[in-house]
Amino acid sequence: MVMFLMVLCMSVFGLAVCGLAFGAATRGLPTGEEAALTAAVDERLAAVPERFFVRDAAPLPAPAAVLVPKVPIEVFLAQIERHVRLEQAAAESFLSAPSLESLHGRTVSPLVH
Amino acid sequence: MSIEQADMLHGVGAADAARLIALGSRVHVSTGAQLFELGSEAHGVYLIERGRIALTLPMRIGAGQEDVLVEERTTGQMVGWSGLIPPHRFTLKALAQIDTDVVVLPRAPLLEFFDANPAIGYVVMRNLASVVGQRLQVFQAMWLREMQRFVETRSS
Repeated sequence: MVMFLMVLCMSVFGLAVCGLAFGAATRGLPTGEEAALTAAVDERLAAVPERFFVRDAAPLPAPAAVLVPKVPIEVFLAQIERHVRLEQAAAESFLSAPSLESLHGRTVSPLVH
Repeated sequence: MSIEQADMLHGVGAADAARLIALGSRVHVSTGAQLFELGSEAHGVYLIERGRIALTLPMRIGAGQEDVLVEERTTGQMVGWSGLIPPHRFTLKALAQIDTDVVVLPRAPLLEFFDANPAIGYVVMRNLASVVGQRLQVFQAMWLREMQRFVETRSS
């Protein structure tokens, strides 16, 4: 019986403490202070972009793949030039004797190896 | 080889070829100088009388842009057939690889000449079709070779 009364008292005390804490937390600010705070919050909300979770700027296009040669540019250009000549020769050879083999014949171009 | 024997004039009699050439003007292009620019308006075609012309396309390499050789044309060959084919814009850039002399044939007088001499116009246009067709076929084959390599790379 004593134990029951003790638990009851503790519960009533706990409830009272919670009630006081809730009251303190939800009590309104003084009128002037509340108005100023509301105005400040409205101002900040207005500054927030409408589409909060969406980027405002249009997505940037994927950057073009930049070909960075591992050799000096002159050497690389010479390699490309040689490659084009070899490929043209291979293509012309295909045109003079069209066949699967002549179309896909290998060249010695370093750019394809 | 005289200019009257240029690939564009195959099958045209010497006298008619001379009349046709007389419509144009001779221009000297020094080594490294540009004959025409990619995207610019093409007012006529060029017959190479002497020298060599490189046809290039721009390519992005590293942070810059470089002209990459696509084709070479030499004495007796024609360049700039965009001058006769709509929309009359050059699709390549042309540079002289060595000192080069060309005959510039402007479109308007050339077409008037063809209208007045349809038999010559027919032969010239057939030669032009052959030049255009040859380039198409070569590049078609080159493209397919590239595609084949792409497929092999992807499947390996």
